[in-house]
Formats: sequence, structure tokens, C-alpha cells
Amino acid sequence: MLKNKTKNREKVVVATLLFILLLLGLMGRLVYFMVFQSDYYSKKAEDLHVRERYIKAKRGKILDRNGVVLADNITVCNVSVIHNQIQDKEKVIKVLCEELNLSREYVEKRVNKVSSIEKIKSNVSKEIGDKIRDYNLAGIKVDEDYKRYYPYGELASKVLGFTGGDNQGILGLEVKYEEQLQGEKGIILTTTDARGIEIETKGESRREPIDGNNLVTSLDYNIQSYATQLAKVAMETKEAERVSIIAINPQNGEIYCMVDVPEFDLNQPYELSGETELALQTTEKDIEKARQEALNQMWRNGCINDTYEPGSTFKIITTAAALEEKVVSLEQRFYCPGYIMVEDRRIRCHKYGGHGSVSFVEAIQGSCNPTFISLGLTLGVDRYYDYFSKFGLLNKTGIDLPGEAGTIMHKKESIGPVELATVAFGQSFQISPIQMVTCVSGLINGGKQITPHLAVKVQDENEKTVKIFAYKEGKKLIEEETSATLQYLLEKVVDGGTGSNGYVEGFRVGGKTATSQTLPRNSGKYIASYIGFAPADDPQILAIAIVHNPKGVYYGGQVAAPIIRQLFENILPYLERM
Amino acid sequence: MGRNISSVKARIKEEHFFDYSLLFVVLFLLGFGLVMVYSASSYDASTSKSFNYDAAYFLKKQAFAAVLGIVVMFAVAFVPYRFWERFAFLGYGVSLVLIFLVLTPLGIEANGARRWLNLGISVQPAEIAKLAIILFLASLICKMKGNIRTRKGFWTVVGVPVPICLCVWKITDNLSSAIIIFGIAILMLFVASPEYKRFFIIGGLILGFAVLAVVFLQNMSTEQLQGAGFRSARVLAWLSPEDYASGTGFQTLQSLYAIGSGGLFGKGIGQSMQKLGFLPEVQNDMIFALICEELGIFGGICVIMLFVLLIWRCMVIASNASDLFGALLVVGVLGHVAIQVILNIAVVTNTIPNTGISLPFISYGGSSVMFLLIEVGLVLSVGRGIRLKENT
Repeated sequence: MLKNKTKNREKVVVATLLFILLLLGLMGRLVYFMVFQSDYYSKKAEDLHVRERYIKAKRGKILDRNGVVLADNITVCNVSVIHNQIQDKEKVIKVLCEELNLSREYVEKRVNKVSSIEKIKSNVSKEIGDKIRDYNLAGIKVDEDYKRYYPYGELASKVLGFTGGDNQGILGLEVKYEEQLQGEKGIILTTTDARGIEIETKGESRREPIDGNNLVTSLDYNIQSYATQLAKVAMETKEAERVSIIAINPQNGEIYCMVDVPEFDLNQPYELSGETELALQTTEKDIEKARQEALNQMWRNGCINDTYEPGSTFKIITTAAALEEKVVSLEQRFYCPGYIMVEDRRIRCHKYGGHGSVSFVEAIQGSCNPTFISLGLTLGVDRYYDYFSKFGLLNKTGIDLPGEAGTIMHKKESIGPVELATVAFGQSFQISPIQMVTCVSGLINGGKQITPHLAVKVQDENEKTVKIFAYKEGKKLIEEETSATLQYLLEKVVDGGTGSNGYVEGFRVGGKTATSQTLPRNSGKYIASYIGFAPADDPQILAIAIVHNPKGVYYGGQVAAPIIRQLFENILPYLERM
Repeated sequence: MGRNISSVKARIKEEHFFDYSLLFVVLFLLGFGLVMVYSASSYDASTSKSFNYDAAYFLKKQAFAAVLGIVVMFAVAFVPYRFWERFAFLGYGVSLVLIFLVLTPLGIEANGARRWLNLGISVQPAEIAKLAIILFLASLICKMKGNIRTRKGFWTVVGVPVPICLCVWKITDNLSSAIIIFGIAILMLFVASPEYKRFFIIGGLILGFAVLAVVFLQNMSTEQLQGAGFRSARVLAWLSPEDYASGTGFQTLQSLYAIGSGGLFGKGIGQSMQKLGFLPEVQNDMIFALICEELGIFGGICVIMLFVLLIWRCMVIASNASDLFGALLVVGVLGHVAIQVILNIAVVTNTIPNTGISLPFISYGGSSVMFLLIEVGLVLSVGRGIRLKENT
């Protein structure tokens, strides 16, 4: 019996030690979780307990060169529901449906969703937000927020661009200068229990938002609005498809205005003007697709995103190259029978019957095609292509707007005499309007390349300059004398040539017109354009007007030149004071 | 150990030994448990209509059970334990009947399981069964004397708890309690029998079977798994709780968040975040996770050390008990507490698949605390029976 008892004792000790061993193992397990995995699980737990709410930073304003606010902010409200705090569900749904004009189905789905916070609608006007708040319903949260507001609606819509629901830039300068404009989001961290109720004793930590900086642009509100008005009038009277106007300082590349009518309302960027085409689509998916396509079309900035055949305005480039290479002198005489034979092709001059015997000055005044074709042919493919490239026409201008279109040009190897002949008077290739403006600016400003741009500087809210944008000094394109000759020639075009409609009394103006038939050639559609600059001997402003598909008279000299003349008549006196 | 006890005796100069350290450990665990139950439940209770917005709702109920339990414990402690032997068979029968009573209108359903009986206060028959099986087996083994060494004796003792276990498992749908009851029986048999080999073989077989089952489950296709029931789902959630985060692995994962975020020193008592509705059953099965979150690894290890001390005192008393019946009673209680502590902490730390087991003396639950205290009363009574002269 005593032996038995010893055995029993031994067994008790063995069992106890086994239990203690297991408990030691579990302590090891605790050490693993609470020392080595502690950070991992703490992080996970915190993610679970902490609700993040963001405070939008106020987006920076966009200003014109004189401080006129082109893009501003207004206070709006975001309406959300907190599922677990809702007491009178039916009333909540009813109020939200009525005040926010939403379908019951939409609201019900969100109200019933079990989440810490569910957004119902953002960018609600402060008026409606206050009204909803006054109902004092548990579970509805109305947060104040900023929304982009464009005081002038359509003005410079395609240049400024607009912002999305999270105040992020979507188009134009809003996208390009997102970094400067957006500021930094603030954050409110609140601790909640599993039902999403805030634990007040834990307090909340808060990081204040940093407001975005203001962007000062080179745009001039007055010039922009006047040009917009001119473009609209031209579009209406000529029943044109589109009218683009760009005005730039040819000395430093600052853009004064950029118009591309029809513009769109920046405060309602998703509203299409005419929805007729959408009605043709049958399925919902097709309608959505067609709608997006129409929106993209509406937002397109023709000055930058599209290319066109420049036509006769491109003779400025041919002239510059020929003068620089000294293959032509002003007195040199040309004979135009109304056409020119290039290899087996007969290329006609726009003037039926020809210009006859003309000096080079008269040839450019009359925009004589055969003259410029023969200049191009004299230069030859190599030299011509070198100038094309040297003048920056193969590269993008580097304008500070997104989506600049590249040049569509023949490969050098595939340029024969016929191609060269057509290029010499501005056909068979395409460039963007901004490219045309940039190139001509560089040729008539004394011969230095410019970078067209809109952004001038960044200011903080106290108008203290934070950053000045520097644009590198462009390389030399042509000699100063060549540039001076070019100024003289283009002044002659306005003074008694095809550009006479561009003449502004009391000012020395240079310019060149163009009328180009769009592809396909037999469509009967034309692009009328005119580039003008003033003063001719020391250009301070250069402007282009491009009228797409005007009805009736379609000549650049008749359709486009008067637009720039009127623009200049109004802004030259104004610029002199500036 | 005998020397240790004699020194205690030398100081208090009493004829009977009384294990004050055991009493202290138990009272400390109880008090600590009340604090933690309050910490765990006060937020939920104070914000919930079904608890009358009374932060102390759970605390009050638990304190009542604890006070009642302590009174009963002292009563049992001062009754010579031999007195209870005559009720051994009766207890076994009554506990079986009580389990069946759960099926009658007396049964109470909560959290989707019918495990409680309404006898004025709500009681879990499984808790009564634990006490009954300890008493019954201790009495049975004593009566068998040397026969325990025979194969027949061995299998008799293994077979006796089986009906109760099956009933607890199938009728009250409480596998964990069935396992605990069976574990207690095996431990008592282990201590009573001079054998080692058979136990190792049985242990090895069970372990091997478990491993095979897990491997089998892992290789099952999703279609087969859908038909396999919630226990296999729990095994899978055990293997990778984060893959089942929103379903079966939810509680385990929330428990790990609580434990892991406790770190070295914890967030401070009352400062748990996980108790704010994130961790289900926080005042009950998951209370150890809350202890770890609020008191850190030091709090967690201190609690484990207290249980080690409790088990150790039981071992000392069992080794020095004046007869085999007393020793076996103490071994049964030791096994009950040890198995439940180990399984509970193993579940909370995702060391084994999730199953509902409460932490003795600490978890919320009136009947559990009451019957544990009765068992402690028995141990104290056995301790009082140690005649010190024999050991000196």
C-alpha cells in the first residue's frame, strides 16, 4: 500500500509538471504575440479602431496677370450618414431624398449599409446643407467643404480646366499645376467603438490642412474676354464650326489669351450643350460611351490638342529660311503664270490667271504659290528640312498645358520635289496652332526661340511670391537682320497686300493670311486664318485667328484678318499703357 | 513538501493544517476576475438597453455568485470530505438527469445553444457534471483497490465518464465541456494507475489522429468543406485566421489584435479598445485577451503564474492527502482547473482551434464560479485532513 502511495505521488507530480510545461509553452506564445508581433497587431487594431476623416485643403486660386481671380473656391457641404447612429431611419431617408433630389432606392441602399460613415452626396450647396442640418436628425452628418468656382463660367474654359469631386484637377492648368494648387489634406482621427460611435474620452487628433498656393498666369482677363467675344461673333456670322484665337507676347512667350469657341461652362463641365446625337444610341452602354466621347470633344482645346494644315501663313517660315540662306532678295523677280510644274504635277496658284511678273515683295503681298514653291525647291530637301527642324517644328513647344499635339510631317526620306513644293506653301503636313504661333514669334522677334507659357508665378495666400517660373532663353533661330527683313515683308503684306484687312490705324502691323482647304480636298471646307503682330518693327504682341469651316466667303484675308484687326484696335492702346 | 507544511504548522500551532496560500490565490483570482469582468462588460452594459444601461450589470451578477460560492466553499471546507463519498453514485445520476432536463421547458437557450437550466438561478449542468465525475471516479477507484491495475479496471474507469461526455456533447452541444470532463477522468486514472505505457499510447494515438484530421481537412476541396460543418471550418480558421477574418476566424483574429496590441505593459486597466464591441464574448471566454491588452505581457504572465501556484498547491495537498479518496478528489480538481486554463489560453492565443472554454475564477459565468469554489472547498477539506504528525 505504501508503495502504491509513492507511485501515486509520483504520478501527481508528473501530471503537474506536464501542466506547468504546457503553461510555460503558452507563456512563450504570449511573448511571441506581445513582443515580436506586437507592432503588427497594434497597427491592425488601430486601423480597426480609428476612423479617418479628411479635411479638404482649400485649393489655390488661379489669377490673371493683373490679379483678376479666374478660378475661386466657394463653401459647399458634403452629406453623409453614420449607419449606427440613425434612429428614425424612415425620416432620414425621406429628408435626404427630398432635399438632395435623389432616388429612394439610392438613398436606402446607403442608409442600410453597415459602415462607419457613408457618403450620400458631395458638393451640396451651403443653403441645402444648412437646411438638412436644421432637421437635427441623428445619423446625418453635414460637413463643410470647398468647391471650385469659376466666376466667369466659360471664360478660358479649355485653358483653366476644372476639378473633380475630390477637388483634383482634371483638365488644363488645374491638372498641370495640381502640385501648387492642391495644398495638403488635413486629417481628423477619431477613435470609435465597434458600432462606429466616437469614444469621446479618447479625444481626436487633428492635422490641419495646408491650403494650396495661388497661380498667377500671363492671361489677361480683358484680352481674353474681348477675344472670346470676337470669336463668338465670327462663329455666328460665318456659321463656322470652331474659332480659335491665341495672343502671345512674342518676346517672352507669355500667353495673353487663348480662346477656342465653343467653350464650355466650367461650373457645369459635365453638361453637354446638345444631346441630340446621344438619342441615336440604343443601349445604355452606348449612350454612356457616346456621352463620354461628346464630353471629350467639348473639352478639347483646339489651340493645343489639334493640328491643322497652316497653309499660306507657313510661307513666313519658307521666307525666313530662304532669306537666311540668301537664296532670295527683295528685288528678285518671279513670274507666275497661275501654276507651276513640279515634275509631272501642275500646282496651281490661288489666283486664277496668275500674278504675272512680280518682285519678291509683291509675291509675298499676293501670297503667290509658285514663288514660294520655287524658293522651296531652290533650298532643296536637306536645307529645307534642316530649317523645319531648327525652327522647332518637329518638337513640341513645351507649353504648360497637357495634351499638346505633335507635328504630323513627312519623313525626310520620303520627301520628293512634289512634297517639298507643297510643304513650302503650308500644305501636306499638320501642326498645332500653338506651334505656328510659337515658331512665327521666334522668327519676327529678332530671331530667338520662345517657350509659350501661361504660368508666371506662385503666390501664397498673402500674395507673397513663393516661386517664379523660369523659362529658359531659347536658342537663336535666325539672324537679327533676317528677322528685321521678315518684319518689313510682313508689314508690307498688311500694307497693301492680302492682309490689308489686318491694318490698324495708327499702329505698324505685320501679318499673313492663309486659306487652306481641309482634307479631303473636294469637301468644300476651308480653314481661314491670319497671324498678325504689332508693332511691326518691335513686336510686343502676336495673335492668330483660325476660323474652321466658315460659310460664304472663306478667305483668311476676309474672315480671319478682321478678327485680329478688331482685337488689336482694342488692345494695342491698352497694351501701351501696361 | 512535507517540511514546508510542518513549518507552517509550527507557526500556527494547530492540529489541523489549513492551506492559506491556496485560499489566498483563489480569492485573489476571484477579486481580480471581478475587476476584469467589470472592465470588460461595463461599456457594453452601460450602452445597451437589454442591460438597463447599468455598467455594473455583469459585475453585480458575478459578485453575487462569487459571494455565494465563497460561503459554500467554506462550508464544504469544514465538512470532512469523506462525508461526500456516499453521494458519489447519486451525483452521477443526478447530473445525467439534469443534462436531459435541458431539453424540457426548464432549459434556457442563449447564444444559439441550449446549455442552461433555470433552477431559480441559471445553472449549467455541464459544471455539475464535472464535480459529479470527480466525486464518482474518486469513490469508484477507491473501491476498486488493486483492480485498477487490471485491464478490466482500466477500461471501466475510461468507460464511466463516456455517457456523461456524450450527453454533454450531443444534448447541450458543448464539445469543450465533454473534452474537459473526459480529460479529468483520464488524469485521475493516470494518477491512480501505476502504468505509463498505455497512457502514452493513447495520447500518441489521439495526437496522431488530430494531425491526420487537420491534414485531411487542408486537402479537402471547397465543395466538400461546405458539407463538413462548423468544426472543420474552425480548424481551417485556426490555421489561417486572416483568411477567414469576417467569418469563423473573426473572434480569433480580434483576440490576437487585443493580445498583440497589449505589448509589454498594456494599455492600462480599463483602457482596452477591443472590448468596445470588437471582441465577441470579451467578458467570458475571451477575458484573457483583455487582460493581455490592458495589463500587457506582465499581466498575462502573472495570471498564468497564479494558476501555476494554484496547481502546485493542489499537487502538494494531493501528495500529502491522508487517503487515496482525498488525493483523487484533489487531482480531479487540479485537472479541471489546469485543463480549462490551458485550453482557454490556447484558444485565445490561437494555439488550438477556437472552442468556447471559460477561464476558471476569472471569466464571467455564475455556475462555473460557484462549482469551482465548491471544488476548492473540497481541496481545502482534504488539506485539513492532513495529519501533520505523520509527515514529521
